[in-house]
Amino acid sequence: MGNASEIFKFTRLSIIWLCLIFIPVWLVAYAVGIFIPYFLIKDQQNIFFDVFQALVPIIAVLVFIPINAMFMVLFERRGLALFTVRSGPNRVGVDGLLQTAADAVKLLFKEDITPRGADIAMFTLAPITFFAPSVFAAIPLLAAVTNDHPLFHIVNLPTGIFYVLAASSVPVVGIVMGGWASNNKYSLVGGLRSAAQAISYEIPLVLSLVSMCMMAKSLDVVQIANQQAGGILDWNIFGGGALRGIDKFIALNLVGNTIDAKTILDAAYPSGILSYIAAGVLIVCSVIMFLLYLTGACAEINRIPFDLPEAESELVSGYNTEYSGIKFAIFFLAEFTNLFIVSSIAVVMFMGGGGNPIPAWLLDPWWPSFASSVGPMFDLVTAKGLMLVDEHTFFPALWVIAKTYAFVFFAVLIRGTLPRFRIDQLMDFGWKRLIPLSLIVFLVMAFARVLVNVHLVMPAGGAP
Amino acid sequence: MATELKTHSLKTDEMIINMGPQHPATHGVLRLIVNLDGEIVKHVEPVIGHLHRGQEWQGQNRTWFQYQALIDRVDYLSGMFTSWAMARAAEKVDGLVVPERAEWLRIIASEMNRITSHLLWLGTYLIDLGAMFGFPFYPFREREKLFVLLEEIAGQRMMFNYIRIGGVQRDPKPDWFKRLKEFTEDFPDRVDEYEAIVSENPIFLKRTQGVGILPKAVAVDYGVTGPTLRCSGVNYDLRRFKPYSMYEKLEFEVPTFSGDGDTQERYIARVREMRESNKILKQCLDMIQPGEIMAKKQVAGMRIKAGEGFEAVEGPRGVLGCYIISNGSDKPFRFRWRNPSFSNLSVLPELLVGHPIADVMAIFGSIDVIIPDVDR
Repeated sequence: MGNASEIFKFTRLSIIWLCLIFIPVWLVAYAVGIFIPYFLIKDQQNIFFDVFQALVPIIAVLVFIPINAMFMVLFERRGLALFTVRSGPNRVGVDGLLQTAADAVKLLFKEDITPRGADIAMFTLAPITFFAPSVFAAIPLLAAVTNDHPLFHIVNLPTGIFYVLAASSVPVVGIVMGGWASNNKYSLVGGLRSAAQAISYEIPLVLSLVSMCMMAKSLDVVQIANQQAGGILDWNIFGGGALRGIDKFIALNLVGNTIDAKTILDAAYPSGILSYIAAGVLIVCSVIMFLLYLTGACAEINRIPFDLPEAESELVSGYNTEYSGIKFAIFFLAEFTNLFIVSSIAVVMFMGGGGNPIPAWLLDPWWPSFASSVGPMFDLVTAKGLMLVDEHTFFPALWVIAKTYAFVFFAVLIRGTLPRFRIDQLMDFGWKRLIPLSLIVFLVMAFARVLVNVHLVMPAGGAP
Repeated sequence: MATELKTHSLKTDEMIINMGPQHPATHGVLRLIVNLDGEIVKHVEPVIGHLHRGQEWQGQNRTWFQYQALIDRVDYLSGMFTSWAMARAAEKVDGLVVPERAEWLRIIASEMNRITSHLLWLGTYLIDLGAMFGFPFYPFREREKLFVLLEEIAGQRMMFNYIRIGGVQRDPKPDWFKRLKEFTEDFPDRVDEYEAIVSENPIFLKRTQGVGILPKAVAVDYGVTGPTLRCSGVNYDLRRFKPYSMYEKLEFEVPTFSGDGDTQERYIARVREMRESNKILKQCLDMIQPGEIMAKKQVAGMRIKAGEGFEAVEGPRGVLGCYIISNGSDKPFRFRWRNPSFSNLSVLPELLVGHPIADVMAIFGSIDVIIPDVDR
């Protein structure tokens, strides 16, 4: 790890950049969702009133993705520099603040070369096919990360996670297209590797998410995220809610409601000691599932140690060897967007979404009042009861951002540590280890789940 | 009917890939013509000569004094050894006796150079295995410290021109020895650090164990030398086998493995060699005495007596030899290098066949070839 001043600079840079990302997103969402409908159109019967409000999620994502990718590139480069006794880019702007912005400008103005013999239509479509699904995949997650804000409610699908998974497995088509159309052998090998890898690692990835859907009895990302509210014990990573009974037991005991506490403990673990054992099994299983998700996600987005499609020491640059200029920039953009999306899926499905990690009963008297007084201060204008940012949105959004970037940081740490797998070892690892393991763990969870009640209803008058 | 159906089998073709000369992982400008069946290598043909500079011809057209400055470019990562091989050959022809202090300084400078060479190998080898960003920068930290020290005695970071015919160029200040001593005490801990990250890493072990096995007989046939040969079970180190300079007085081990060497053993051998070189440095710092450092006047028209001779030193990559014929003038009459990288590279096709394409660079990296050393 670098010295203290480098860590300080890195933190400062990240905070400034996060402001640079979220203030424009906030302003645009405010302008399109509140300012134009309520202050310019005013007439709620006007069709454009609804049109503008429905455009908010799309415009927010389209503003967010490029700026976020620019930050993530810098975050990754500076983060790697911290791990590897270097300084990283620190010349453009204060501490290299604008390095990636400069890089983006450079890439936009570079000559866009199409190699001779390339299939021009496919060559041009490939980056788009790679990038567009990641935008689609990001949109439903918005509902979960903004805690189902009215403006983002429109994108909340009942089959949210199913849709996100479907959309995020399309990019591999773009990679294969790019590899095939480039008329380059390295690209071809990279593209084919990518297809093989995506098929093998999607199974454990999906099974790990399905197990969490099974625990939550829902595919709706908002519902799954909200079920985990109430502190770290309620998070899906600890047994998909197997600790929820104990959490509520402690909460009720603290307010002195011991009778309800006993009832809720019995409701949560109906079969006595067998249920407690099942809860333990669930915790172990869901931690395994979480690790499987991380592995599968790393493979899905082609990051070290699974970056075989663009293995630099073997295939020059894999499927994007022949790309330059704006097309390369789009590939680059999509890669980092995918990293962000898998991180936010991990946050929503396993790490409690916008939930506070500290158990609610520790923070009880002062935190809700603090949140409800501080949250609204970040709204510009309250318009007819509809606030862009309020206590239900502000802190959940902060937690989601913090947790998601923690995952991104973890991915950077992995990149700075591990060498690359070989393709046959990758396949062995996927088919002979991960897939059987995920199937077995999934079955065990399905049986253990019967013995534990993870959907508890608090008695009236109990703790929150 | 059944016999007719059999003929409809899937037809596959081999694909030819040109790896290099413009490839990010070929350590310079080597070109490998690789026949691939799927991802499995069926045939490899190395094409060398992209970096040919005519080092031997240059030597024959320059004076002894001038050519000394060019020698470091033969193998730019171990300039001390190339200088030393040439100096020893010329001294043998000329009948010079090198002062004792100069010999010690030569050993110190060379072993420092051996460590820097192995450190660079360690970093780039991990890049070849795909650890693109993390680990490779750590060895460069220690390498930088050594280069600062070497720069002080030689005036240059890599092209040292420090070991001259008859001695060494410059006597370092007492302070320099003190700082080198500090480095040698610190260095084993740093090597422990590298080993902590790499040696037990499961992916590293998966990528290296049993990969690129080089049997003893094949290694000997191709004239492979250096750590690569010692991993294949031949205990051949010139510093032990035919001790030159002051190596007889030093205590150090030569890491040798008994079985057929694979890439993991080559890694272990080089890491151990770094530790041994560090041990040698420590002993040299204790044994070195004040005295003369040069036995021959360094002038532009320096002459070597007529005669011919071959001398070799144990470089970081293997036996580095120099054959000289002098006719008594100020220029070498004939000049010939024996480069370890050249013979080590020639065994590459034997190692690669049957491995997947990902191992091409892993194995190529493990035998530690420097292209300017191959092409001269």
